[in-house]
Amino acid sequence: MAFDLPFLLQILKAIFQAMPLTLAIALVSCAGAFLLGFAFEILRRVNRPLGLLMRLIIDFIRSTPLLVQIYFFYYVLPYYGVVLPGVVVGGMALSIYYSGYLAEVFKAGIDTIPAGQSEAALALGLAPMDVTFRVIAPQMLRNIAAPMGNYFVSILKSTPYLAVIGVAEMMGMTLEIASSTFRYAEPMLLLGIVFFILAATMAWCVRRLEVRLMQSSKR
Amino acid sequence: MSFFDIFRGILEGMDVTLTVTFMGLCFAIPFGLVAGILQHFLKGASRASVTMIIEFWRSTPVLVLMFMFYYSLPTVGIYLSATLVAASTLGLHVGAYGSQSVRAALQALDRGQVEAGFALGLRRPAILWTIELPQMVRAMLPTFVNQLIQLVKGTSLVALITMSDMTHRAKEISQLTFDPPAIYSALLLAYFILLYPITIFGRWLERKVGQGSGKLMEDHGRGV
Amino acid sequence: MVSNDVVIAVKGLNKWYADFQALKEIDLDVMKGEQIVICGPSGSGKSTLIRCINRLESFQEGSIRVEGVADQNDLLTLRRTVGMVFQQFNLFPHLTVLRNCTLALTRARGLEKAAAEDVALSLLDRVRIREQALKYPGQLSGGQQQRVAIARALCMSPKAMLFDEPTSSLDPEMIKEVLDVMADLASDGMTMICVTHEMGFARRVADRVIFMDQGRIVEAAKPDIFFEAPRNARTRAFLHQIL
Ligand SMILES: Nc1ncnc2c1ncn2[C@@H]1O[C@H](COP(=O)(O)OP(=O)(O)OP(=O)(O)O)[C@@H](O)[C@H]1O
Ligand SMILES: [Mg+2]
Repeated sequence: MAFDLPFLLQILKAIFQAMPLTLAIALVSCAGAFLLGFAFEILRRVNRPLGLLMRLIIDFIRSTPLLVQIYFFYYVLPYYGVVLPGVVVGGMALSIYYSGYLAEVFKAGIDTIPAGQSEAALALGLAPMDVTFRVIAPQMLRNIAAPMGNYFVSILKSTPYLAVIGVAEMMGMTLEIASSTFRYAEPMLLLGIVFFILAATMAWCVRRLEVRLMQSSKR
Repeated sequence: MSFFDIFRGILEGMDVTLTVTFMGLCFAIPFGLVAGILQHFLKGASRASVTMIIEFWRSTPVLVLMFMFYYSLPTVGIYLSATLVAASTLGLHVGAYGSQSVRAALQALDRGQVEAGFALGLRRPAILWTIELPQMVRAMLPTFVNQLIQLVKGTSLVALITMSDMTHRAKEISQLTFDPPAIYSALLLAYFILLYPITIFGRWLERKVGQGSGKLMEDHGRGV
Repeated sequence: MVSNDVVIAVKGLNKWYADFQALKEIDLDVMKGEQIVICGPSGSGKSTLIRCINRLESFQEGSIRVEGVADQNDLLTLRRTVGMVFQQFNLFPHLTVLRNCTLALTRARGLEKAAAEDVALSLLDRVRIREQALKYPGQLSGGQQQRVAIARALCMSPKAMLFDEPTSSLDPEMIKEVLDVMADLASDGMTMICVTHEMGFARRVADRVIFMDQGRIVEAAKPDIFFEAPRNARTRAFLHQIL
């Protein structure tokens, strides 16, 4: 592995060019997973049959690999005439895959709030909307902030999967350079370093948040 | 090809999936235990370097790790089989996650347990081995099962370095017959059948071990 | 102090959890300004009864009128008319003491923030805890928290107050401060139903003491009669046990 500064710079440039797209995919997928996971969890609480169905769906999502889910949407949708760009399919797959995990986070976040909280709010004559959004939701968000943050880091770290369906995020761009120059070692190493810095920084922020929340809940 | 043929064709890749999983465990378990224990007991610079190693394996995307080692080891003259590269990168990645629950379990143990051990005249390693580890195993079991699931799912990535696992078999079959719905449904089904029992088992364990301890919450988001 | 206006009228109340009958043929009229203490062994239905009154539990048979209103479709109005204090305080941990008290005033009564805070502060004053207004519940002792919970309920100017074992999860040295606040309320003429095993409090404050067993009201009498000459054998056995 000879040291080739121009080559390294070229790779770095490509990686940084693809960074906005990568972060955008991660961000949108976080939002998608959040909303979908919340919907799953709400539906699970509606009634028993629906609850069992939701549980099965969530388990299915969690029991199959992300890569396979991506392939599934990427190859099966066009078969039925639904042709979507790789970014869209990828973002969708990421959202769905992680919604299965976030649903469980929501569940745990709600379950750990004592029943007395909503009872006290109801007893004060608060409307159901206020009970949900003024009393339960803030406590739930505090409970789930840290685990949710961890999953958001995971979503960022899963964006390279999208390279396999030709999305030009950081991994895709790096692979492109690598395959056109037949040099894989340096590009992958650099990409690894960039991802490591990004993900470790994010994880560090989550951990700080966790510590602060822990202190504030001891108030 | 009928759905059944496709499904059978995919199952031919099961042995690779399982081989990589078992080899991966051989890396994940020792690494997770040792790294977690070291991180708990070491201080200062040596602790920081252990943390650094764990963070490297945890915070770098596993796909990037796998490609990195698959392509760069030969350039420094190390020739390993694809199986070994895949199993070691997947295993160390999963093990790095596991190390965090080892450390958390150690920290959660009651100080009184260690003191009781000292009071009985045991040495520190003996206390770790006979008192702390057995208690930790109980607390860590659900996490362990979750990590196992992540490992099995991770093995699908070996298809990208040309190993003929179930995912790769599906791609091979798709060259023979154009039926994406059947092929990819069969592939999803194959993984589901393999992993659903483990998922159920893991949830059962979680309920048994994590009753009211709030541990459930801590565990979330640490292992994907 | 006790007048002839009925604030809470319970008639022929029957309640089942699946096929377990938790309340059997309960009849109870609570007069304006009356203080009622309910006691009885664990599982006798005390909590269930007072939770039915503000519909935290639904019931299958009978009727409960609060302030003469039998139509309970308007749950919100009903619940704003009766205040409730729980054994576990149930303060909202993410809100300050003051906000705990003003939440329902601003959201349910539609008061301005400043007006709501005036009301809340005067009631916190009444339970002698005004100086803690800006703290969070987790920073207070159990007795302080329970007094805040009482103030929070009082903010809605309820026509009646329900207490479900308000001192049962308190350390002994804090029980008195809460009971004192409740006794003050009683002497101000607040209509109250209080589930408690503090018999000293019952003797001092109650107009009527009710003994429940296995979902029924077994005995209801003025405290002096209840404690000196209970008619029912089960009441006697119960009193013997706890006194
Ligand atoms: N949600 C429920 N589902 C089924 N049974 C219930 C439920 N809540 C209460 N019960 C039953 O109803 C009966 C009365 O319960 P309740 O809580 O009213 O008793 P209590 O007199 O308040 O007892 P304690 O002194 O222990 O608080 C008990 O036998 C209890 O097991
Ligand atoms: Mg009770």
